[in-house]
Amino acid sequence: MTVFAPYIEYARKAFAREATYRIELLAEVGSVVLRVYLLRSLWTALYAHNIAPTGLPLHAMITYATVAMLMSLVLEVDGTRVIREKLREGGIALDLMKPIVVPFAYFSDGVGQTMVHALAILPSLLFSLLLVHIDVPSATTLAAFVLSFALGYGVNFFVNFLMNGVAFWTLETFGLQLIVRWISDLLSGQILPLAFFPGWFGRAVFALPFAAIYSTPLLIYIGIIPPQQWATALVVQAAWLVATAGASFLLWRAAARHVVVQGG
Amino acid sequence: MAKSAEMPLIVTRDLRKVFRSAKRSPGALGALRGLFSPVYEDRIAVAGVSMEIERGELVGYIGPNGAGKSTTIKMLTGILVPSAGEIEVAGIVPHRKRRENARNIGVVFGQRTQLYWDLPLIDSFELLRAIYGIPTPHYRRSLDAFVELLEMGDFLRTPVRQLSLGQRMRADFAAAMLHEPPILYLDEPTIGLDVVAKEAIRTFVERINREQATTVILTTHDLADVERLCRRIVLIDHGRIIFDGPIERIKDEYGRERRLVVRFTEPTSAPAIPGARLEESDGMTARFVFDRATQRADRLVREVSERYSVEDIAIEEPELEGIIRHIYTQGYAGEGRSA
Repeated sequence: MTVFAPYIEYARKAFAREATYRIELLAEVGSVVLRVYLLRSLWTALYAHNIAPTGLPLHAMITYATVAMLMSLVLEVDGTRVIREKLREGGIALDLMKPIVVPFAYFSDGVGQTMVHALAILPSLLFSLLLVHIDVPSATTLAAFVLSFALGYGVNFFVNFLMNGVAFWTLETFGLQLIVRWISDLLSGQILPLAFFPGWFGRAVFALPFAAIYSTPLLIYIGIIPPQQWATALVVQAAWLVATAGASFLLWRAAARHVVVQGG
Repeated sequence: MAKSAEMPLIVTRDLRKVFRSAKRSPGALGALRGLFSPVYEDRIAVAGVSMEIERGELVGYIGPNGAGKSTTIKMLTGILVPSAGEIEVAGIVPHRKRRENARNIGVVFGQRTQLYWDLPLIDSFELLRAIYGIPTPHYRRSLDAFVELLEMGDFLRTPVRQLSLGQRMRADFAAAMLHEPPILYLDEPTIGLDVVAKEAIRTFVERINREQATTVILTTHDLADVERLCRRIVLIDHGRIIFDGPIERIKDEYGRERRLVVRFTEPTSAPAIPGARLEESDGMTARFVFDRATQRADRLVREVSERYSVEDIAIEEPELEGIIRHIYTQGYAGEGRSA
């Protein structure tokens, strides 16, 4: 277990560090509850004046939007932001002077940060339930959702890792980051279900890694992906996880070479 | 060949590092051309450094900005791969076994901290305990010793961001030494500190070097640090070692100029002594420069007291700072070129 001890400690320290911002965490709960209420009003109004897409009644839509909002508490934590910051300030050299596998340390740090924000999920859910009604699926569906959510978390981490990793060459990635974040928010199904996109575009977005982040777990939750298709959906997510992790590994190797040969 | 116990702890042989970067031509067209047929520019940072450092030495590694000091240190810590040459630190080639090498070294950068900004100081130490796998009793003993030695008891539970620079530097030293590495690299460790804090740091370095035989390589622009702590200095310029030896030797070879400061009892205009050059005079005080190798100080003193009514005479020895400044600007012409 001693092999993992440093990484567990990295996660614990990241948790402690992130938890020092208590007010921010409270504000987060408030913001989520407010947005849940606004989304309910928005979708109710939209459904009242337009024809709803087949298979997605209003209560399912509100459930989708609310659960997506709660998921974002965890998924919007960019645990790999440290890479960019450390590159700019030169702290990455200090990390490389330690007997650790540096990307593992950053992953652990990201997990620690995420855990803090996960604490906001339960109070956000309870307050949201005062304002909206959401569907509660069966225990097996919930289990499939949690598994799918975990895979989506992994994909999200590595997409962020790839984005922040570009900083090894350009140092400043904020512009790129903003663009990728917008695209990701839209194409992941966070803002609205991917079924709303028309024609070929609607089919294409399901083939992108972003769909593995929000869309797949949410569609499992509201039952659009039925139990007999769970296996396929989870395998596709796992494939994206492997692909983005592999790309991250290659990027790290190239980045490490860049650092050791060019001195950062 | 078996590694003998007498082998130096740190060895570099003809160590080189060349950075290659794409050269940009001016203008949009130039940028476009650079994209298709890039022209590379080589910058030689380290141009063949050979040195041997024994266990327990305290070496000042100095040179002007851009001389190749930090590039050498980065190669010694294994985070930079040399372009050519050999390097071995405690029997390990650092860049081949970066993590193994990391266990043998402690590093302090005056301009950076490895401590967690938002957390109480003790948390950073706990993380280091986990990173190096320091057994608990060992950790306790070592932490207690550092808390006492560096007087950290008052701020062990204070968030690092609230520490003064002096406190933070002391904490950074403890962080670097917690796993008791045999080698310590220091990069500008006293920059920005007041005299008291500087002294605390110097005393600490002196002490771990003496008591634990920690080998220390000190990179700094503060030559008072070097003069106080180091017996040996390695002087590097343009990527090459231009002097490697005891401080006394560089002073002997370079500090040949002495100054004779004379205070008169009455205003004296244009004082003169044979064998010494008048550097400055304000009527009451005169400063002469003489070459120690050709002129004897006692003769000059006698001479000046015979000629003038003198209240006080002082002889100024050259300081390391002045000597180094002279070498940076004039180049080195001594014989101690090789290691």
